This record gives sequence, C-alpha cells and structure tokens, in this order.
Amino acid sequence: MATTTAAITLTSTDLLTDALSLSATNTLYKAGTTVGLDQTTGMARAYLTATTVVDIFPQLIEGSIAFENKSSWVYICNKSEDETEYITVKICENEIGRLYAGDYLWMPWSMRESVNANNHHGDVTVAPSVATGMWLEWTCINEGTEYPTENLVTA
Amino acid sequence: MAITAELTLTSAAGDLTTDALALSTSTSLTKAGLSTAISQTAGLARKTTESTSQYTLFDGDAYSDGAHKIYLKNTESTAGLYFVIEINSEQMGKLYAGDWAFFPWEANADTNDIKITPSTSASHTLEYMLFYE
Repeated sequence: MATTTAAITLTSTDLLTDALSLSATNTLYKAGTTVGLDQTTGMARAYLTATTVVDIFPQLIEGSIAFENKSSWVYICNKSEDETEYITVKICENEIGRLYAGDYLWMPWSMRESVNANNHHGDVTVAPSVATGMWLEWTCINEGTEYPTENLVTA
Repeated sequence: MAITAELTLTSAAGDLTTDALALSTSTSLTKAGLSTAISQTAGLARKTTESTSQYTLFDGDAYSDGAHKIYLKNTESTAGLYFVIEINSEQMGKLYAGDWAFFPWEANADTNDIKITPSTSASHTLEYMLFYE
C-alpha cells in the first residue's frame, strides 16, 4: 500500500501570551478507508508570465463520476520572493484566497461541479497578480483519476 | 511577531512513485503584500457536532479582505467519518478522520463563509484555527 504522509507544524513564540506549537500528521487514504492514495499528477513547477487564470489540473476531469466520493489532495505554493506578489486561488470560479510570496495551501478537493447554476466545473485555478513572471509549484495526490479522451479538433 | 507554518509531504521510494517524495516548505504568515506578521487569531477551537446540519465556522461578513489563513483538522479516528468543507456554498472537499487542511481565506465577499457539514449525526469533532489581519 502506498503510504504518503502530510504534516504541518504551526509555531509562534509571540502571537499569544502562551507559545503556539501545534502539529498534525495524517496519512493520505482513499475516501473512508485506510488504503493509501496511490495516484498523483506529479509535482509541477511553472513560470507564469501572464495574469491569465490557469486551470492547473487540466488532465483531470472535474465533476466526473469517476471522482464522486473520492479523495484528492491539492498542494500549491507561490515560490515568489517578492512579498507584494500573489496568486489568487479559486475553486468553481469562487475565490478561496490569495497565496503571497512563500505561502502554500494544502486542501482536500472534491472536484464537484459548481452549485451556483453557472455550469462551472470544479476546477482549481490560479491567477498571478503580475505578468512579470512568478514561479509556482503544485501537485494533486488522488484516487480514481479519469483523463480527458483524445480531442484532435483544432477549431 | 512571527507565525511559522511548516509543511512536509513524504512518501518512501517505490511507494507513491518510484522516487521518494520528500517535500518540505515553510512560510511566515504575513499581512497581504507586506512583510509584517499577521497579529490576530480566533484561537484554536474545537467543535463537536451531533447532527448532519451545516455549521458556519467563519462568516465572510465578519472579516475584511486579507491574507487570512485557516487550519482545520478532523480529530475523529473512524475512517468513514468526515466533514464536508464549503466555501461560498461551493464544496471544496471532505476532511476524513485524521485529515487536516491549511489554506488562505480572502473573505472577499459577505457570502464567502466557511461552512462544515458532518457526515453523520454521530459525534464528530473538528479542530480549527483562524489567523487574520
């Protein structure tokens, strides 16, 4: 069984009167089981030079029956070192938040289609704040991958 | 003032993939576009639910835009128990037993609430924390 572990440590000596030292670790399992997740899109690293909204997992079909009740985890990191630069992260066209330089997220992803009657897929998208170039990293660790079928139409 | 969030993702060679996964990244939680640390928190909280009703964890109307960060953890140990996480009524994902998540929250709309729905009416406990500016 594939064993993948995700851990986080949140620390601060001066946010509160008491020190903050919070740790959490979990093994990534298939939904509702203790069987490890065994598929991944691989770690992507890209230099985005436009503020265009990008679907970072185009190879996965969101809203597909293959993903229903499945477990998927998304990691995204803004590798910029300029504190003013950020990426806007959305799901179903709805803004989750902004990742500023060095920030990352780790979140579950249901890949569900939008419920807001706008026919948006459950895409996870990013949009850089500047067009001068930003490095990003991302990956998805999942189960039940379904890929788009071949489409050679050019128009 | 400083708050540090360190993430590690690991998997041995030949497990998830042929090569080992050993990702480690750390960030200091700062205010939007600044190097100034976030200085406010809603505190580390726990909520135990005993129905499948939806609960609002964080109300988008109660916070201004910002580089807020949210930490969530399902503290249950029974594999099938989960919380559905929604943002602005869109399903983000499900947190199964032992799972945790850490993500930014823009709170850019009054409707950008963070809501949870337990999978069953059995006792489910979620731990959560908000860092905000």
